[in-house]
Amino acid sequence: MSTSFLRRRWSRVVVTACASLYGFAAVAASQPPSDLPPPSKIRDLDYGDVLFHFFQDDYFDALVRLEVAQQLGRVPDHQSEAALLAGGLYLSLGMHQEATRRFERLLAGPVPRSVADRALFYLARIQYQRGYLDEAGRSLARIQGALPGELESERRLLSANVLMARGDYAAAAAALEGWDEAGGWANYARFNLGVALVRSGESPRGRQLLETVGTMDARSEERLALRDRANLALGFALLQERQPDAAAVALSRVRLDGPFTNRALLGLGWAEADAARPQRALVPWLELRERPVVDAAVQESLLAVPFAYAKLASNGQAAEQYRHAVSAYAAEARRLDESITAIRGGGFLDAVLEATPGGADGKDSVSWLWELQRAPDAPHTRYLYQLLASHEFQEGLKNYRDLRIMQGNLTRWSGSLEAFDEMVAARERLGEVRGARKAEFMAATDVEALQQRRDDVEVRAARIFAERDVTGLATPAESEHWQALGQLATRVEALPAGAQRDALEERIRLLRGSLQWQLDAAYKLRSSRLRAELSAVDRALAETRQRLGQIEQASDFAPRNNEEFARRVDELADRMARLQPRVDAAAAAQERLLASIAVRELEAQKARLASYATQAQFALAALYDGAAAGGAR
Amino acid sequence: MKSTARRRLPNRGRQLAIACTLLLLGAGMLALRADATEAAAGLRTVDGDVQALKKELVDLNRDLFRLEEELLYPASTQVAVFLSVNVGTFFALDSVQLKVDGKEVANYLYTEREVEALHRGGVQKLYLGNLKAGEHELVAVFTGKGPHDRDYRRGTTVKFEKAVGAKYVELRITDRDAALQPEFAVRQWD
Repeated sequence: MSTSFLRRRWSRVVVTACASLYGFAAVAASQPPSDLPPPSKIRDLDYGDVLFHFFQDDYFDALVRLEVAQQLGRVPDHQSEAALLAGGLYLSLGMHQEATRRFERLLAGPVPRSVADRALFYLARIQYQRGYLDEAGRSLARIQGALPGELESERRLLSANVLMARGDYAAAAAALEGWDEAGGWANYARFNLGVALVRSGESPRGRQLLETVGTMDARSEERLALRDRANLALGFALLQERQPDAAAVALSRVRLDGPFTNRALLGLGWAEADAARPQRALVPWLELRERPVVDAAVQESLLAVPFAYAKLASNGQAAEQYRHAVSAYAAEARRLDESITAIRGGGFLDAVLEATPGGADGKDSVSWLWELQRAPDAPHTRYLYQLLASHEFQEGLKNYRDLRIMQGNLTRWSGSLEAFDEMVAARERLGEVRGARKAEFMAATDVEALQQRRDDVEVRAARIFAERDVTGLATPAESEHWQALGQLATRVEALPAGAQRDALEERIRLLRGSLQWQLDAAYKLRSSRLRAELSAVDRALAETRQRLGQIEQASDFAPRNNEEFARRVDELADRMARLQPRVDAAAAAQERLLASIAVRELEAQKARLASYATQAQFALAALYDGAAAGGAR
Repeated sequence: MKSTARRRLPNRGRQLAIACTLLLLGAGMLALRADATEAAAGLRTVDGDVQALKKELVDLNRDLFRLEEELLYPASTQVAVFLSVNVGTFFALDSVQLKVDGKEVANYLYTEREVEALHRGGVQKLYLGNLKAGEHELVAVFTGKGPHDRDYRRGTTVKFEKAVGAKYVELRITDRDAALQPEFAVRQWD
């Protein structure tokens, strides 16, 4: 298992732990499908390109590229896997409706068993998350083989969670029997089942499971956090059952520097107090009291500390601590008011996103929520970590972030689209210039005349070959000589007969014979060359005709192609213009809703603080009454 | 009166402990109020709208992506160079430099995340450009760190014929053919 995978998983667990601090360890209910195994060998490069982005958690880019590749038929050798990946990507981008459609469509067609099983698993996960437990159970039951890698463990955990959600704890427990694997998934299931059993009244069995998880060997942060949660849940279950000593043992196992430390310290104090050891209760409570008052456990410790002092009959210290509590609650209530005013003033969610390094850029979709817990101590963001405990807030925040990313995406494309528009116009102008040049060129090019000249040559050649006319293939010089000899012979013939004429005729005969011999000797080579040259001319003419055809076709095609591009640019610009205000409106609606949830949550915190303050004041009054009565007596 | 105060405080402590327990074991759910339910319903409605918007955005991006590619890199001139990694031992790719017909067209430095994506089976589209039909020469050089911290620098030269359709060239860094040392293998796809 790679370090980065562990880091991702850990951050996921922390996020879900923060989100559902009071509930199940929701590790199975989250996740982007980065567990989808890649094909052993990439057979379509475009599919590999999709995976390159997918493996970097760049899900949106991966999905867009996958959609393009599918539409253009560029993933013929990975069709089923591509369809599965598309469903998974829609799911990871929060589009469970489209993801469900994709998985169902995939399952309706012929598909390899292994792909169908994975699709069923993801479908079941969505159904479970949406609360369709029967459907989730049926999807899980349709899985035939073992899923690859960690998915098999996730499947078992999901099956157990579905059974638990349906209240069938016995079946869930049976499903967990003997399940122990290196990945630690079984422990999540045990934890969930333990909590569910305690909640449903089957405490002994639940506590047993929590004890198993709370004492497990843990080295990774992820497992340490799960162990802490189990001990915390176990400790409070025991506390509720008035078993303070056992509760103290469990709570003491929680790390002192983890996300559950404050609650464990609070519980540990109550365990000691319940065992009539108020002095020992003060140790964790005094430690807790020094921590930031924003935490609910710290707020409670402000009341718990004077309670312990009162138990120790140290009424002076108790009264002082109650006064300290009242003033701390008042200060915290003022800070809450500041935050409520800031949130009502608007810009709340943008402040949240700005508070997160890399939170608004759309990358690293998993870890950004984790980063939010380090939000600065400003009115907008001070209580963010507490707000993230609400699942609805977290989901809404994710949606808001997605909407902001969408706005950025539309703005970027808007610039590109303007450039495309200019490009199409430039092509149009270039097309016009080229069209004029082409017309000029075509007018000056008479390929038919060239063809006629070639045909004339062929006719002449055919006669020469038929008659074996060696002089027909003579060079210009040879032709001149041949003609000169013919003229000389005519002139010699006109001379008076005699020895001189005979001698001249003999010389001409010899010269003609010699020239004819030369022509005859060269005939074979020359005739072969002529044939080759005719063939070359044929090829050149054919190529010329093809190029002319291409020029003709290209210029015919260019205007249509350009018109098509211009139409597409217009159509996309129109879609973009219609989408933009809807995205803006949805972002504004999301912000209003989340602000109202945040204000509601902060008002509830204020009410709780007011209640604590009242209790502190009552207790203080009781102490004063007691002191006064004692003095009077 | 002291005893009165003491009697009241344990009750208060018990209430706190029970409240805490309930809180930690999930009773936070009980605190749902009518306005919370309304807010949740509102969020669900917005969630449905956001999902629909996201789907429209994916479709829009798909169409824009296609338009961009077809406009800027028409199939008749399109050449794409991909890079993949298939090495048995871990090889930390540092950079790849790519020249086409003597001109540098890509000089890419890799992040750790990209290297991991390549090792897991991802294929990077390193270069997308336009070339006219005919013969072309591609020169690629990669650098990186192999086992035992050893630096590697390897190159390859490929001549390829660009025909009428789009041309894909895959540069694969592999250690299969040369004594487990990373080398380039080239595959041409038409």
